[in-house]
Amino acid sequence: MISKKVILTGSFGVGKTSLFNQFIHQQFSDKYLTTIGVKINKKQVVVDGEDISLLVWDVAGEVSQDKVPTSYFLGASGIVYVMDLSRPVTFNNMQNDLDFLKKILPNGEIIIVANKKDLFTDEQIEAIALKLPIKWDYTTSAKTGENVENLFLDMGKRLLMRNNIK
Amino acid sequence: MNNPEIPQSQEQLLMSQLREILLKEDRHTLTELQRILDDKTLLSGRINPIIEEHFDYLKQNFPSEHTKVVNRLIEQKLKDSQEEIIAVIYPVLGKMITKFINLQFQLLKEQIDAQMKNVFSSKGMILQLKNKVLGLKTSDTLLAAVDEPVLEEIFVIQRDTGLLVGSAALYPSVDRDVVAGMLSAIKAFVEDAFERDNKEDLESIQYGTYRILIQNFPANFFAIAMSGSVSTAESEFFRNQIIDFIQISDDLRQSDIDGEMQERISLQLENHFIIPQRNKMTTLRLKSTTN
Repeated sequence: MISKKVILTGSFGVGKTSLFNQFIHQQFSDKYLTTIGVKINKKQVVVDGEDISLLVWDVAGEVSQDKVPTSYFLGASGIVYVMDLSRPVTFNNMQNDLDFLKKILPNGEIIIVANKKDLFTDEQIEAIALKLPIKWDYTTSAKTGENVENLFLDMGKRLLMRNNIK
Repeated sequence: MNNPEIPQSQEQLLMSQLREILLKEDRHTLTELQRILDDKTLLSGRINPIIEEHFDYLKQNFPSEHTKVVNRLIEQKLKDSQEEIIAVIYPVLGKMITKFINLQFQLLKEQIDAQMKNVFSSKGMILQLKNKVLGLKTSDTLLAAVDEPVLEEIFVIQRDTGLLVGSAALYPSVDRDVVAGMLSAIKAFVEDAFERDNKEDLESIQYGTYRILIQNFPANFFAIAMSGSVSTAESEFFRNQIIDFIQISDDLRQSDIDGEMQERISLQLENHFIIPQRNKMTTLRLKSTTN
């Protein structure tokens, strides 16, 4: 079984930790997020019969700010970038954040997630998508759990494929 | 009232006789009572049965009739006298604590005495000589021997990803992959937060009686969790052991980690660090049983 580091990031309050908690049975309390600004948990996924262990680093706060130690991002194979459909302000920094992440992790697999799907109708979500210059990969709801498992499975698949090619 | 037909002296005599007749019985009773009162045995013989009867009554009826009142009184008294009660209890508690501390000191003293005996033995002289050569204090060596450090867990962690390369532990512990990640996060946080002109590496974390020794290498870092007092000499000993381990483990030179490799390295760590620690603990246990 191979292990890969995955970063869960995005603007403050977009629901990163809720996505994380929905996906993983917690071993440590959330207090680490407020102390050293990161909490790590593990999830094993099976992709085409092959096991892959994802070490998910839930990084608190903003992306391209001095507040978060850059070293938290280093060595990550995958990035789950989360934004909040209900707060357009979280889209504003998206391009800058993604540029920053691509710069420090040029080979990282990036999955963009629009969270809080449960607050909107499909038509409303489509309308929001039209206004954004960047397309997201998954529309999720940490509340109902919709698509959460799928996005991490997809991440596992992409990382495994990349690993096998290498 | 005088009778005119009887002379006064005769009348007085008759009155006296009449008084004697009338009061004879009363006087006898009075004399008897006086006798009882004057004689303690007779008096207690009369009074004791009454007192005992009253006691019996109280014994049977006191709890039901007076418990509430007594309890209220006690509660009130306790409330009013808290400071006095604390003043009474404190010395007792203080004595217990002092006794416990004295006992612990006694045990420590006995261990140090045993070490001191060794110091003046031929083996001890050699040790002192060795300390002088290595520049170590004999007191440090003695204290370290009293509270031997125990290597509890060892981790090898990939430096840039925080992924676990291998691990071994004396006792079962929480998910080591996650612990490895958190250790790298703490390390990264400290190194970033206190970065000055030169990039420094975090080399140890101390919490209570536990210490995590960190040995940094270009691709990986080792973290050894230890309990007990760890002297500088012992830290150096463990750091040298890590260097020995690196020289014998070819797997550590690989950059990609897979499950099989992780298992192999973990087994090597178990053999190199944990099994000698277990043997050492067994020997110490046997020694203390023999003593």
